Amino acid sequence: MDLTPLAAGLAIGLGALGPGIGLGLGVSKAMEALGRNPEASGAIFVPYVLGLALTEAVAIYALVIGLLILFT
Amino acid sequence: MSEEAAEHGQDPTRAKPLFQIGPVALPKAVAAAVVALALWLTPAESEEHSESLIHVAIKGEVLFHIGPIAVTNSMVGTLIATLTLVVLAAWASRNSALIPGRLQSLLEFPLEFLGGVIRDLQPTRFGAIFPPILTLFLLVLFANYVGLLPGVGTVGLQVLEEGHEATVPIIRPASADLNFTLALALISFALFVSWGIRANGLRGYLKETFVANPWYMTPLMTPIHIVSELSRIISLSMRLFGNIFAGEILLAVVLALTFAVVPALFLGLEAIFGAVQALVFALLTLTYITLATAGHGGGHDEAHDSPPQDADDVALRAGAH
Repeated sequence: MDLTPLAAGLAIGLGALGPGIGLGLGVSKAMEALGRNPEASGAIFVPYVLGLALTEAVAIYALVIGLLILFT
Repeated sequence: MSEEAAEHGQDPTRAKPLFQIGPVALPKAVAAAVVALALWLTPAESEEHSESLIHVAIKGEVLFHIGPIAVTNSMVGTLIATLTLVVLAAWASRNSALIPGRLQSLLEFPLEFLGGVIRDLQPTRFGAIFPPILTLFLLVLFANYVGLLPGVGTVGLQVLEEGHEATVPIIRPASADLNFTLALALISFALFVSWGIRANGLRGYLKETFVANPWYMTPLMTPIHIVSELSRIISLSMRLFGNIFAGEILLAVVLALTFAVVPALFLGLEAIFGAVQALVFALLTLTYITLATAGHGGGHDEAHDSPPQDADDVALRAGAH
């Protein structure tokens, strides 16, 4: 019984749980900060995008492992 | 219905038609019809070979050989991206007017944005840091956008691969190849290590890396520090590769499953993601350089500006970019 598709599905499925929650938390805090101080959008933007990218990278690692499992 | 008629500014005493199409209902109906048509015209999946519906290859596929060098489709994509960038840069620098036209304004937008960010973060080294960061950003941007051109990933050569026919695309986006992203990540690594050595001296840089702040924490912190610096290579390359490669697969799946208008939405999504990933790559390199040149204890204000002092400060920062 070939478990390869199951492995790939589990890899990306479980691997996207944490970053999903993390991204939501980050965006919510950024929106909150923006709501308190709309003029600070310039100062918020760069750290916000950086934080999003670093958090999303964890999900991308899981995706790459899934792709490796499927295609190699 | 008469309330709608009154709403839409029509005379409610007119003979009321049986069915009235309001200004919002018509576009909605058209959109629904298009999507329904698209889904109805979807080709049925063929279950003959139990192969995948789309052609996915993690590695770039070899097209032909020039002597001992194998030319892959990713190399063709890289060539397209770099040639476009060089031609655009040469044209823009030659024909730059004082009052910019539309194309020049478009090209100046990333310059101004990145210039503002770098000026805030590293005002002293601006002239030396700005060109590599901008180059990284534009190169990654153009490399990502190769995947959106018509014909990329679809126009290919018919080859016999593992007993069944497959289409090997001629062009593949540059950053969907791990070689390209790994090379860029190594260049980033070389950049921030060399900047760290240049700013703090070789002894200073080695001291930062191998000696932790309270001296007795060194055996614990040194491996962590080394691994975290080396893992930046992996994280930079994997992030870019994963995003763009997954985007390619997403586009291929959507194109295989649906028809007409729906793939265009995902092209837009890929455009957004391509720009964001390019920006993130450049900003992360900038952050690592700032961390490396920070010196003792200065690494705490990396990408965060120091908190604004008062309202004037906030307005200044907000308007700075």
